[in-house]
Amino acid sequence: MRSTGMATMAWRNLRRNRRRTALTVFGISFGVLLAVIFTGIGDSSYADMIDLAARMGTGHVTVQHGDYLDTPSVSKTVTGTSKISALAARDENVKSISTRITGQVLLATSAASYGAAMLAIDPQKENKDTFALFDSVDEGAMFESGADKGIILGAKLAQNLDTKMGRKVVYTLTDKSGEIVSGLARVKGILRTGSQSVDAGLCILPIDTVRKTLGFDTDEATQVAVFLYDQRNSEKVAQRLKKTIGENAQVLTWDKSNPALAGFIGMKVSGTVIFEILILILIAAGIFNTIFVSVMERMREFGIMSAIGFSPTKIFSLVMWESLWIGIIGLISAAAITAYPYYLMATKGIDVSKMTGGEQSLEVAGVAMSPVIYADIYPQSILVICLAVFGATLLSGLYPAWRAGKVVPVESIKLV
Amino acid sequence: MNAENPKPIIVLENLVKIYRQGKLEVPAVRGVNLEIKSGEFTAISGPSGSGKTTVLNIIGALDDPTDGKVFVEGIHLASLSRSALSKLRRDRIGFVFQAYNLIPVLTAFENAEIVLALQGVAVKDRRERVMGLLADVGLEGMEHRRPDQLSGGQQQRVAIARAIASNPAVVLADEPTANVDSSTAEKLLSIMEKLNRKQHVTFVFSTHDQKVMDRARRIIHLVDGKISNDEIRE
Ligand SMILES: Nc1ncnc2c1ncn2[C@@H]1O[C@H](COP(=O)(O)OP(=O)(O)OP(=O)(O)O)[C@@H](O)[C@H]1O
Ligand SMILES: [Mg+2]
Repeated sequence: MRSTGMATMAWRNLRRNRRRTALTVFGISFGVLLAVIFTGIGDSSYADMIDLAARMGTGHVTVQHGDYLDTPSVSKTVTGTSKISALAARDENVKSISTRITGQVLLATSAASYGAAMLAIDPQKENKDTFALFDSVDEGAMFESGADKGIILGAKLAQNLDTKMGRKVVYTLTDKSGEIVSGLARVKGILRTGSQSVDAGLCILPIDTVRKTLGFDTDEATQVAVFLYDQRNSEKVAQRLKKTIGENAQVLTWDKSNPALAGFIGMKVSGTVIFEILILILIAAGIFNTIFVSVMERMREFGIMSAIGFSPTKIFSLVMWESLWIGIIGLISAAAITAYPYYLMATKGIDVSKMTGGEQSLEVAGVAMSPVIYADIYPQSILVICLAVFGATLLSGLYPAWRAGKVVPVESIKLV
Repeated sequence: MNAENPKPIIVLENLVKIYRQGKLEVPAVRGVNLEIKSGEFTAISGPSGSGKTTVLNIIGALDDPTDGKVFVEGIHLASLSRSALSKLRRDRIGFVFQAYNLIPVLTAFENAEIVLALQGVAVKDRRERVMGLLADVGLEGMEHRRPDQLSGGQQQRVAIARAIASNPAVVLADEPTANVDSSTAEKLLSIMEKLNRKQHVTFVFSTHDQKVMDRARRIIHLVDGKISNDEIRE
């Protein structure tokens, strides 16, 4: 059947009540627009949060001492870090690797003493992609080498310690044998991030200096942080690393080393899924209504068709074709109306700091977030949305199509 | 009757149809025996409610009898499945209803060829046959019009073309002229007559209209669901 095939007839049927079809198509498009933007914001902000969490400390994948997670301390070390780094670097998903010493430190000046989180880094091997605060040194500068004699303090911490640039600070740590060891450093820089936990609780030290103070090997640290191009590969990379480095150290993905963030994202993702299901139900209800009403209006026509020899299957397939067309036009028009808003959301984003009013930075589980919300949807999410909308379209056509196929000519053809 | 005495294409044996409306039983057809032979041009007449439509629907496999038997070309309809009945309607029976016969989204040409398309006849053969038929019913040049661009009479002509396109055993027409004016009715009858004579299409149509009845060569008169008179003319 060429000119009079079911697909052609279905297409023409949709053109009979253009306004109704247009409204349905618009409904689908608008639903897809909402779903895409919403999911895009989710995908992007979760990826951002995870990447930021990674850059705030642990990397996407962390190699550390088996006990470090439960009882973090500078005495829980990993040895052979350069070998671990070399192994990790062989994975094509790995973007960079940083070796660090992290733990609690006591800082003292002549005026006061405060506890803080310490992050000892090799400045030559870090940048703002591995360490988010690398460029946040507001006053002063980052260390030149791992053997630097300086210390970088959070702004609030510096204030609490009543110290400033160039002044001396004594840092005290507990070494592996439980001995108290300390070093002397000069304030080389001040961090100002807007995040309370950073500004009041973090200090950065050069790794080689700290190793010397603690009596570590040059190949010893508490953490090897592995950074990936795409956070979604975390699990895969972690599994591979686990195999190659064996029992010597524990390999953790970001969600294990940052369970609070993982929980938060998990909750948000379920929220998005519920929202998407609601949109889907609305779309399906709209299509169902359109098709059902138009089928009921055409029962006489189906009666004639049945009388002259259209089989129930043919009539069923005619109505299914109508749903299919609505789904196809709906998706095409959805692409058309979604493109520009999505482009804006992807490039310009929405600055929510204007909405929430003020300087407050968003902080999620200790991770400071950018106040600009962007959309950056994963291709898989688009595919899922399209398939779901398409499925909903076909599903909502089923019952009306079945009703049409069951037409009883003698009842529907009767003329009054 | 024809000299060759052709075998009957439709046989009704003791046909009974009782409609049930809740507890109420409406007897629409009460024991009709009838044979219709190939080449007939037969009218079923009778007052409103006498059972004309019911009889035609049962012959056309659109409705089941309450009792009695229906044979179309020797096949007992009660023995056929739903899909076999659908095929039988497609291949062996042509229908013309009182009005709104056509599929609104198809052109005159597409409406006339739809049954052939359902049968899977090749596009080229379909085209040849349908163009010829549309010319026969006087619709040359109107092939591409949609039903809403045709008059009631023209729509009925398309319906006639569609009904005969697949060379059915019989064309059943329930009051085919009831919705058109009398001169249009005359023309439709002439077309049907011509097709009957030249292409030997068997027509059975119901009507109220005396003028239409007068054109038939056989008139079966129904009263209260029974044949009161079966008159063969000429
Ligand atoms: N679906 C139905 N349910 C109940 N009764 C019906 C039904 N269809 C027809 N009838 C009754 O059956 C009888 C015969 O009806 P039918 O339609 O066959 O008559 P008709 O001769 O075609 O009438 P008309 O000339 O008005 O078209 C009538 O009494 C009618 O009321
Ligand atoms: Mg009738």
